[in-house]
Amino acid sequence: MFFAGLDIGSSMTKVVLIDEQGGVRAHIIGPTGAEHRRLANSVMEDALRAGGLRFEEIAYVMATGYGRINVPFADRQMSELTCQARGVFSLFPGVKTAIDIGGQDAKALKISEGRLVDFVMNDKCAAGTGRFLEVLAETLGVPLGDFGKLASKAENKVGISNICTVFARDEIATRISEGKAIADVIAGVHDAIANRVVTMARRIKVEPELVLTGGVATNRGIVEAVAEHAGCEVSVPPNPFITVALGAALLGKEIALKTLEKTGSLPTKERKLAEATFFKQEH
Amino acid sequence: MSDGTRGLAKAEEIYRNRSRRALELKAQGRKVMGYMCSYIPLEILTALGILPYRIFGDIREPITEADKLLPTSFCPFVRSCIDSVYKNKYDFLDGVAGAHSCDPQEKTSHVWKSKVAYEIFPYLDMPATTHEWGERMFRRSLENFKKTLEAYVGKEITPDALKKEIALHNEQRQLVRDLYDLKKPHPPLISGTETLQVMMALASVPLEEGNEMLREVIGEAKDRTGTEANIEAKRILVFGACLDDISLIQLIEDMDAGVVMDENCTGPRAYFTDVPPTDDPMEGLTSRYLNLTCARTFREAVVGEFRKDRAADLEARYAYLGRFIRDWKVDGVIIQLVRFCDPFGYEIPELRDYLKQLGVPNMYLETEYTTGGLAAFKTRVQTFLETLI
Repeated sequence: MFFAGLDIGSSMTKVVLIDEQGGVRAHIIGPTGAEHRRLANSVMEDALRAGGLRFEEIAYVMATGYGRINVPFADRQMSELTCQARGVFSLFPGVKTAIDIGGQDAKALKISEGRLVDFVMNDKCAAGTGRFLEVLAETLGVPLGDFGKLASKAENKVGISNICTVFARDEIATRISEGKAIADVIAGVHDAIANRVVTMARRIKVEPELVLTGGVATNRGIVEAVAEHAGCEVSVPPNPFITVALGAALLGKEIALKTLEKTGSLPTKERKLAEATFFKQEH
Repeated sequence: MSDGTRGLAKAEEIYRNRSRRALELKAQGRKVMGYMCSYIPLEILTALGILPYRIFGDIREPITEADKLLPTSFCPFVRSCIDSVYKNKYDFLDGVAGAHSCDPQEKTSHVWKSKVAYEIFPYLDMPATTHEWGERMFRRSLENFKKTLEAYVGKEITPDALKKEIALHNEQRQLVRDLYDLKKPHPPLISGTETLQVMMALASVPLEEGNEMLREVIGEAKDRTGTEANIEAKRILVFGACLDDISLIQLIEDMDAGVVMDENCTGPRAYFTDVPPTDDPMEGLTSRYLNLTCARTFREAVVGEFRKDRAADLEARYAYLGRFIRDWKVDGVIIQLVRFCDPFGYEIPELRDYLKQLGVPNMYLETEYTTGGLAAFKTRVQTFLETLI
């Protein structure tokens, strides 16, 4: 028996397939894209192929993320924050605070004994998100993947005072034209993002163990800057992209097994691996 | 009303087309007075035969006209109300009654005049505390408000007439409490969305017609069997300044939740307290309106002590909310405010401390007063509901 977690984020779609013991059988990460959102089924097929499984072997499908409503074959949808708390807890049983820096938002979670008890999120503004880094990578002409390595060479971190992404880009262009080293500017950018997300996280109190997730957590420079601002060590999962999808799969597994125990059968509804035929209109 | 709809259907019809009745009455020569705040003593208006008509903003309409003239860094609800007036949606009004309930309302009470040609802009000055000296000042202010309107209509209100008017309004308040009692059972007999439609309709029609509608709604809801309701639904209280659109309530109720209680200006805050019976009716009005449970008035427990008992102050300010939570068996509180709402914004730390003491989970939602922001709320609300086990 296997269980699937689909996290359809604003920029990336993540799928995790787990077995009855909670072990990861397969995971895939792909871009969401406007059209991709509708094609959650093809992402699922890719994951099944990667895991060598058939859809019929999946006992429960949990969908999460911004695109969670566009998964017609899901048994249930839950919020990405609930899934994040569950996923992070499975990897770090001592976690009290989790910060997730996503493509277009940032979230901080307060976790107590594996349960999400409080949260705060910024989804109104690109500052303090992955998008901020992407925009600045473009401005600097440096691949995003090199940011962490470059920042470690910084000698005099440049202060970035503008919080707004658009104005920060101008500010950075000015610093470069003044002759500041790119490494110093990048270190300053990391510092600005870390400052922004840790300040937000303080609203729910930052307590160790602090875990950082989301694609941005692959950048060592950000991890170090977050640790500095938070005043404690930062743990990063081996694959910080997939913790939400992992949590979704685990929550789905718990629901399915509980129902199986109670009623003798799985809660799985009639479902078929198909693309969403309509877009549910948001209010 | 002549179109034959009753009760909940009528309430929804008025909610969708709020001004219809006011326009009819206006055509018959009735004066119509707009107001934006629960502090306006409606008894004085109705005693003079004036129809009170609550001004709401429009969450679905971008604010453009008001932003040409006013800074964008204050309350978008008030800005939207002004925008609606500037866009001629309230042309049938004879005046707008303002109060110093918050700074945007106080300042805008005077701003109307530069742009709108209403006949009268009566204004109610307000103290910021409920102390005895504040009460004296408020009483004088109410008398001035009454005198202004009496001069406008050319008629004086006798104490007996005012007492009669108070009794009529208290009757409506009792009916509203009866309506909210139907939300105590689990599942509730009337949804939060329906309740808000009724309450917004109530602020748009004459008193007697509102009372009739309330009686019909209560009758209809009592006949419900509740078989279709979701027994798993979480019981939510929405706390805020003013709710003037059903979209947020609908968003919550589209998930596994029911808004079984609220505390805002289209609900209990404006209707749950009666005017006490006093020999001098102005005394009753003074006491009632000054003690409304709005964040703009500080209700401290003890006056004149230099050592403050914070627990007693919190109790003095929020005990009523604790009763709501207990009596309506609330599982979680959603605090919802529009951005830049200063009086309620400053209330949040104390309010959340109080709720924490009670052990009631709560969440703070700040809205931009647009429907565009609602999608982002969905994730927050869903997450909050998932934390309530």
